[in-house]
Amino acid sequence: MKRTLEILFELERAGVVSRHAIGGAMGATFYVEPFLTFDLDVFVLLPRSAGGLLTLTPLYEALRARGYAEEGEHVNIEGVPVQFLPAYNALLEEALQEAREVPYEDVQARVLRAEHLAAICVQTGRPKDRERARLLREQAALDADYLAAVLARHGLAGKWREWG
Amino acid sequence: MDPEIARLFAAKEARRRRLARLPFAEKVKLVVQLQRMAAPLLRQRGRQVRVWSL
Repeated sequence: MKRTLEILFELERAGVVSRHAIGGAMGATFYVEPFLTFDLDVFVLLPRSAGGLLTLTPLYEALRARGYAEEGEHVNIEGVPVQFLPAYNALLEEALQEAREVPYEDVQARVLRAEHLAAICVQTGRPKDRERARLLREQAALDADYLAAVLARHGLAGKWREWG
Repeated sequence: MDPEIARLFAAKEARRRRLARLPFAEKVKLVVQLQRMAAPLLRQRGRQVRVWSL
């Protein structure tokens, strides 16, 4: 895991991705009790391609050159199946910009803020997102003002209240 | 609610909150323990899963 995290920062330094941060179940686990997951979801801001399209191909090529092969929708990086998810909307772009670095043993991990994870759950809206949002609400010490601003900016305040 | 049941639920909730406050690296170790426990059952059901190497 430690080496996996280092590789993510190496990709950033090499310009393969503009920025990355852990989200999904492991992102939530940073703030709440640990729960079962087999994937490490990593959101990435990608450099714009010539045509302005989002494509993971250069990222996969860079990983392959480092010896990390794709396995379905994942890339196995040092024994951890990583799923890269490009930031495809304004909420995810903001979440990536405001993600914070946290210590993991003697290296750093970058994790989305709990408030953004909650907002992403609301936006995605699946039953498991609702359950994750409930855990974040109960255990994550959310900054209420910060969360309210995020939800308002992205038109999610009503659904958050509905889920409460 | 029966006081004994209420006490058990309260203890369970307290444990969950204690787990939520663990350092990230400790939580990752617990996730891998959960993976080790769940993987054989999931594989029996035909789901391909990989337990992380730390």
